[in-house]
Amino acid sequence: MKYIQKADLLAWLDITAWEKNLIAPRKIGNQILYQPIENSSQICWDYIRPDLSLKEAFFPPTERLFMMKSNSQQVELVESMPEEEKIIFGVRSCDALGVQMLDELFLENIPPDPYYAKRRENTTLIGMTCSQIGADCFCTQVGGAPDDPRGLDLMFKEVEDGYLLQVLSEKGQEIYESLPKASDYYGKMPDRPRGKPLFIGAPESIDWESHFDDEYWMELSDRCLGCRICAYVCPTCRCFDVRDEPIAGQPGAFERLRSWDSCVRENYRQIAGGHNPRAAKGERLRNRFYCKFFYYPQQYHTSMTVACTGCGRCIEACPVNIDISEIISHLLEVAR
Amino acid sequence: MIGAQSYTSIQTNPMLPYLARLVAISDQGEEIKLLQLELLNGGKEAFGEYKPGQFAFLSAFGIGEAPFGIANIPSQGSTMDFAVQRLGGVTTALHELAPGDILGVRGPMGNCFPMEDFEGNDLVVLGGGIGGAPLRPVIQYVLQNRERYGKLTILWAARRPSLLIFQDEYESWQEAPNTELHLTVDEPDEEWQYESGLITDLLAKIAPRPNNAITITCGPPIMIHFVNKMLVEKLGFAAAQNYVTLEARMHCGIGKCGRCNLGDKLVCVDGPVFSMDEVGELLEKFL
Repeated sequence: MKYIQKADLLAWLDITAWEKNLIAPRKIGNQILYQPIENSSQICWDYIRPDLSLKEAFFPPTERLFMMKSNSQQVELVESMPEEEKIIFGVRSCDALGVQMLDELFLENIPPDPYYAKRRENTTLIGMTCSQIGADCFCTQVGGAPDDPRGLDLMFKEVEDGYLLQVLSEKGQEIYESLPKASDYYGKMPDRPRGKPLFIGAPESIDWESHFDDEYWMELSDRCLGCRICAYVCPTCRCFDVRDEPIAGQPGAFERLRSWDSCVRENYRQIAGGHNPRAAKGERLRNRFYCKFFYYPQQYHTSMTVACTGCGRCIEACPVNIDISEIISHLLEVAR
Repeated sequence: MIGAQSYTSIQTNPMLPYLARLVAISDQGEEIKLLQLELLNGGKEAFGEYKPGQFAFLSAFGIGEAPFGIANIPSQGSTMDFAVQRLGGVTTALHELAPGDILGVRGPMGNCFPMEDFEGNDLVVLGGGIGGAPLRPVIQYVLQNRERYGKLTILWAARRPSLLIFQDEYESWQEAPNTELHLTVDEPDEEWQYESGLITDLLAKIAPRPNNAITITCGPPIMIHFVNKMLVEKLGFAAAQNYVTLEARMHCGIGKCGRCNLGDKLVCVDGPVFSMDEVGELLEKFL
């Protein structure tokens, strides 16, 4: 295994932050977020995983697709393609796996989305394996692992006084070549972190079709506020809305924006004549979980069996304790 | 510059519309207009031989975009047609356009009616209100290739006579060989001389035979449900003989925005055309 000393890694991070657009976990207020950093001292090293996922690096909460300058007889459209190159350091495996799931939707499901594709192409993901498992984490129960290399270009693992590194792609090789010289490591390997399982059994063994009409969904939704924070923090929720807005200070100029949306929103699915196939809150909440575990894997033929990375952010964020692991647990128990 | 931007990038950006010029806009009754467009620049090539049942997004620039079924076949005139009912912001803006105005079009999207598989069959076409729009290309296609199909029975329904679309084409439909047109409205006025009542009442009365027959329905979800129920339970059709085209809210049309899901199906890429044996159960769940 290749090994790099902590001081060497910090020096490299300082140079990279100076020369390039480096993003890393950073403490902002009482949140830890993937944010641009100017030097290595701004990096937060002690974190379960950042409070928001990595999806916004490729699929921003709101982005301009193109600009329109129009009067009725003349229209000019100007595309807004993202050009910025980014290196993201300290990526957790659950987030890289989330990006992989989004890749299957935005890239492999044709036609590819050019905005997402461009950001993906211009970004290098450097992972940092987890040395502890959070109370709400369950990556290993949905096919992931605290040191899952999928989706990453390069991965570091913390050992005594330094880091082991693993090159995982061509982009990772480029980074490797720019790093201070790595040596071979013969020291002690840390134990793989272990967490408590949040449920017993595999979510893919659930017969989702048979639970569609369960009263459970309506009961569960009694306390749902419809706030959609679950979708906001989710690395794989990717529903979006598209709308036009005027550009301030430029008469006749508009922008077409794409923004995150969520199937839990009340009129999300309502059609023009007023019909809403998921009029009840319970039907909408149910759709969110069916999407994750039943629909999405079928629609996008994902290599993952479920569209959930087990990051546990929605569990932590939900103001009324709707807990995805409890839902899985409930459905697995009903089956027993 | 008038629709003169470089289109080289458009081919790779499915979210960027082609420009089109509104050639004509005409009333199709109450709050419904027929928009006839000329595609500019790369649009003509991109749309090529669009098929009956396919749809496209229309952009009223600065207001937004929404999906609509294409209402003609390419060989029928030189324009691409859309029937638009005024319901929200985008449709209101589209109604306010005048000939010569520029709008945006993305598409063609979705699957289509398998018109070749239908050859040799009788066809029963059931349109409810604005739901008749995506069925017009089916009618045009059958009339243009009349010898390839058996009897064509058109059941055309609306809430009121003023909501019946393509009225100036009824005569040509009726005069076509081996073709029948039946009209019904829920709320007839004094001048109304045709049937009144729901489309299912009319369907029961006409009672098309299921042998070598295909039905094609578009209308509100509740109408699709009851039409299929009658076809299957009373008239002896199998669900697989009954085709529908579904409406859904959408924001991309290319299987990404997640909006149009109906269970595990995405209306935009798995549809909008389905046979009822594919989606019958799903529709029940989401009525």
